[in-house]
Amino acid sequence: MSKVLRVALRDYAEAVRSKAFLISIVLAPVFMCGGIIAMTLLEGQEDVSDKRVAIIDRTGLIASSLIERAESRNAEATHDLATGKKRHPAYVFEIVPPPEGGGDVRVELSRRVEEKELAGFLEIGPRVVHPVGADEADGMRYYSEGAAFDELRPWIAGQVNERIHSLRLQDAGLDEAAVRSCFAGVPMAEAGLVTIDAETGEIVAKPAIDEAAAFGVPFIALMLLFMMVMTGAVPLIQSTLEEKMQRISEVLLGSVRPFELMMGKLIGSFGVSLTVAFVYLAGGLGFGWYAGGLEHVPLDLLPWFFVHMVAAIFMYGALCSAVGAACNDAKEAQSLTMPIMVPIVLPMMIVIPVIKEPLSSFATGMSLVPFFTPFLMLLRQSTPAGIPAWQPWVGLAGMLAATLFAVWAGGRIFRVGLLMQGKAPRLTDLARWAIRG
Amino acid sequence: MHAPPKAVELEGVTKAFGEHVAVDDLALAVPAGSVYGFIGPNGSGKTTTLRMIMNIFYPDRGSIRVFGEERRGASGDRIGYMPEERGLYKKMRVRTLLRFCGRLKKGRHVEAEVDRWLERLELAEWADKRVQSLSKGMSQKVQFIATVVSRPELLILDEPFSGLDPVNTDAIRRAILDLRDQGTTVIFSTHDMATAERMCDFIFMIFRGRKVLDGTLSAIQGEYGEDTIRARIDGERIRLDGLPGVERINDHGRVQELRLRPGTDPQIVLRSLVERVPVTHFELAKPSLHDIFVRIAGPEAAEARRV
Repeated sequence: MSKVLRVALRDYAEAVRSKAFLISIVLAPVFMCGGIIAMTLLEGQEDVSDKRVAIIDRTGLIASSLIERAESRNAEATHDLATGKKRHPAYVFEIVPPPEGGGDVRVELSRRVEEKELAGFLEIGPRVVHPVGADEADGMRYYSEGAAFDELRPWIAGQVNERIHSLRLQDAGLDEAAVRSCFAGVPMAEAGLVTIDAETGEIVAKPAIDEAAAFGVPFIALMLLFMMVMTGAVPLIQSTLEEKMQRISEVLLGSVRPFELMMGKLIGSFGVSLTVAFVYLAGGLGFGWYAGGLEHVPLDLLPWFFVHMVAAIFMYGALCSAVGAACNDAKEAQSLTMPIMVPIVLPMMIVIPVIKEPLSSFATGMSLVPFFTPFLMLLRQSTPAGIPAWQPWVGLAGMLAATLFAVWAGGRIFRVGLLMQGKAPRLTDLARWAIRG
Repeated sequence: MHAPPKAVELEGVTKAFGEHVAVDDLALAVPAGSVYGFIGPNGSGKTTTLRMIMNIFYPDRGSIRVFGEERRGASGDRIGYMPEERGLYKKMRVRTLLRFCGRLKKGRHVEAEVDRWLERLELAEWADKRVQSLSKGMSQKVQFIATVVSRPELLILDEPFSGLDPVNTDAIRRAILDLRDQGTTVIFSTHDMATAERMCDFIFMIFRGRKVLDGTLSAIQGEYGEDTIRARIDGERIRLDGLPGVERINDHGRVQELRLRPGTDPQIVLRSLVERVPVTHFELAKPSLHDIFVRIAGPEAAEARRV
């Protein structure tokens, strides 16, 4: 067995037995799924107690209609049809007559809101049906303690506006039903392209693209690769630094050449992330098979996923181990970790524009920058629109060149840095070591 | 008679770090099967030389041959190396770690050797413990086993005895000498002159990057001649300044070491010594390695260099 492989096996064995690894492999999915589960659980936890709202209706035309509509809604929409369980709060309105002689009831109503007797109160201006100018009296206001995202407000606004439309149509002498049918909206559905079936000659639809495929799949693929890099490449900073600080490096250098040592560590790390990838992919595909939705998973991309993963681990890993070897303590490593993290984190920041328009020249250009290729090319490849077939190959060529460069330069920095003690290295030092060897 | 083959040969080896010349035009020939001691003050180039023999540093100039082969690019599977700055994987178990170290050099079949050494250095019951639970002395011994478990033909040890108590020092020293008896060539560096005197076939001193001594102990001492008197003095302490023909006095407490000016008759010194104090022991000797070291690298020599 070669020395590289022996170093790799030792590193792998130590990494997979560590608590950090177990935590990452078990807890990361738990946290991710936990978010979804928590949201589902909280959905059933809506406050279902009645929401009381007072209305000061200065038109005298709207409040009673609002109460009618609320009553019909309360009868229909507040309970789960299947279980009969109350799922949503009922809306209860009380009419407060506008004070005569110019008094203000808002203070009293505000007090009742503060005492939680009311959810809020609505003031409808006297001229909302036929507004003149931008007078305050022309609008309506909802007074409440907070600007929460509840469903009550938009519901009230919609209902009041509908009532106002009816009133205006009546005043204009128009048939409300006829006008409404004129303005009835037409929904637009999402559809895929069509093609001619070679066998039957019939026109058939290509599978439609839905949102899960357009956003979910690329995003999951990207996150998976990101996680591989975070479990496989980035910990090399720490493990190399530890070997140096515990004075193990020079002992090892009595038996292996520096480049063999670095390659061994890289391969060990790759093994670790391969293990994580296997667990996550198997788990994810298993879940997809069980829960349905497996048809969204572009299985033909799996080989590309692994190609990008290999390149990412070796490219970033070589740089990470070079940084670990160059530093003398964790503090120095921290300051040099920043520049290494740029090519890893930057693609994460431009995910949204790239997913939205994977074929834009911005997305294409960024994905062909070798240090971004693993993340961005994979992201673009997994969007359903697809990208020109030559691009992944050009990306691959650039990425391989960058990986070889990173391993070569990393190896040289690694060799010099490992026995360098004392002075905190700067980026310029690293560059000099890489050039001079 | 054939001269024994050379295990290590250095010729004109120079290594600089930036402006600082760490090793300057060094030549060295270590005969196979010998014990070669490297001495010299801190920062004089011992570790740099050992690292160059190990191919960890590359010399700027000169050639290094180990067992007759140029070292560039070759891996050191026939060499066991224990650096001065040494450590072990703390979380690994002793036996697993030693097998890893052995296999890294030798390939396979190291199990029996690991167990034999653990037994010999009385670590057998710690074999399944983690390295972090060992005491400092025990982990030093484990470190030594890690170096020798692959049965190297050349053993390079940088300060092998530093931090060891006398019992462990003896154990390691016996182990090193046994390996020598089995044909292993040993190069080690040390600050302990007594150890170097007792253990080494050859002594090599490097000072400010240059070789200043190289040879057997008696040859080195021979260069200085019998110019030292060791005297044990009884009773209360009296200053011995102003003895005739005495250049320098090293006060070792009970024993006084007097260095004579060239051509001084020791009998005259003895007579004037007896006149002053009761002498219980008087010996005419070659200078100790310690004294030679101090003569080359001590403050007196520094003073002389400045003049």
